[in-house]
Amino acid sequence: MSRRLFIAHFEDERDIVEATKAVRAEGHEIRDVYTPFAVHGLDKAMGLKPSRLPLVCLIFGLLGATAKLWFQVWTSAFNWPVNIGGKPLASIPAFVPVTFEITVLFAGLGTVGAFLLISRLRPGRKPAASYERATNDRFVLVIVERDAAFDLERTTALCRRFHCVRVEERLEEEP
Amino acid sequence: MEFPQRTLRAFVLLSAAGAAIVVAGLLLEPQRMWANLLLAGYYVVGIGLAAGLLIALTYISNAGWLTAIRRVPEAMASNVYVGGLWMILLLLGVHSLYEWSHAEAVASDTLLQKKEFWLNIPFFSARTAFYVVLWSFCTFLLVRTSRNQDISGDVELTLRNRRNAAIFTVVFTLTFWIASMDWIMSLEPHWYSTIFGIYNFSGMFMTGVAAVAIAVILLRRRGYLKEFVRDDHLHDLGKLIFAFSTFWMYIWFSQYLLIWYANIPEETVYFIKRESAGWGTFTILVLLFNWVIPFIVLMPRGAKRNEGILLRVSIVILVGHWIDLFWMIFPAFMPGNPQFNIWEIGPMVLAAGLVCYVTSRSLSKASFIPTRDPMLVESLGYHS
Repeated sequence: MSRRLFIAHFEDERDIVEATKAVRAEGHEIRDVYTPFAVHGLDKAMGLKPSRLPLVCLIFGLLGATAKLWFQVWTSAFNWPVNIGGKPLASIPAFVPVTFEITVLFAGLGTVGAFLLISRLRPGRKPAASYERATNDRFVLVIVERDAAFDLERTTALCRRFHCVRVEERLEEEP
Repeated sequence: MEFPQRTLRAFVLLSAAGAAIVVAGLLLEPQRMWANLLLAGYYVVGIGLAAGLLIALTYISNAGWLTAIRRVPEAMASNVYVGGLWMILLLLGVHSLYEWSHAEAVASDTLLQKKEFWLNIPFFSARTAFYVVLWSFCTFLLVRTSRNQDISGDVELTLRNRRNAAIFTVVFTLTFWIASMDWIMSLEPHWYSTIFGIYNFSGMFMTGVAAVAIAVILLRRRGYLKEFVRDDHLHDLGKLIFAFSTFWMYIWFSQYLLIWYANIPEETVYFIKRESAGWGTFTILVLLFNWVIPFIVLMPRGAKRNEGILLRVSIVILVGHWIDLFWMIFPAFMPGNPQFNIWEIGPMVLAAGLVCYVTSRSLSKASFIPTRDPMLVESLGYHS
């Protein structure tokens, strides 16, 4: 089922943050906000939940550390023991640098991978939405017209209060 | 902004109490007291240098976040003068501290003879004075230029301070690692480590940022900086503490790993001392306070933004830095086991009293925020 979207264009980052806050206070559902650069405070204005990526990062890091430490102990002390400089076979200090690097590698790649997976970014993917100048100098606020009670004029007036330069309506494209 | 006289008087009393113990210690157990004074003086000068460096780094990187709270590190930078003076006075105890300062010890020791061109009392004293004058001059310039901007509002002063900051970082880098070798590493003159300067820098900088965080939080609680300090500023201080705590661990381990791996007697002697008997247990405390606790506690985003948590972790780091310095200095004086009693407390009480007094006095000499700094608007509305 496709829904109608209400789209407002702004010219200033402060306007879009304030407009987003006001629209959310009115109870509208915000589909997304498109900006040419990261705008501070917009995540709060949109009411986005904090990202869970740090947790993914931690889990991948711990996984990398455990796996690499185990692998080094297994190779040097069990599978093919070699006496190096008379030190014990399982010399943990010697394993720390590699364990550290693999922790960072796992955490980094895992986080990026999880991010791409969650946001369904892959080569050849069609752009989710294209809004004129949203990658250049315009700030675009997209609202879902949830039900018949959506009042076009009222919402337009609300956006005009924040110096909105253009409004339009579109049918939501199927993802 | 004025501090209540009562608070300042409390700091003076604290210093006086510490000074009384120091005098008693110098009479009863001079060598142990001199070693403690070295620790405390090095701690104080380190806090001042770290504060100056924090300011310098934000100027160089054109960072705006610190501006709203910059007066706190600026005030804390005055500890360079006090700590510097302390290090100069410490020259009086040179014979109690350094083995190489005794002619008869040098006469019977080939290695000390080879190092005598560097480790001799006149040159050592001259170097100490040189560091202190240089560091004092650089931090003085940074702070004075920033304060002058309150009056004139001239953008040119920001650019001038950017130059001052660049000069200070270079001067600092070239002198601090030698100073750390002179003052701390030469306590055990047969041993050497080329990473010692960075190791000392990492601990010092993390402690300085933690001290700034403590001061900012306490001032905000008292209502002084309430309108200006956001949680976002604390978040950035927290990130720096977190990062430099991990950097400290990285460098600590780098030093350990190379010595452990190469297994050369003249290098391993340092760690053998610190792994045997009571010092072995003490080493665990060093790692726990300086990295394990801060790393785990400060990992979540919310912890760095939480005033109470950040304050507690910063205190842990301040204690941890004392433990770290104790671990560096005292195995030379206390073979076997670390000992702790009032002689260890006195100098640190004196140091704490002085740092608090000097910082508050310096804070009250200027406006609480750099009112006409071009970066102020950015900093006041800062989102981390």
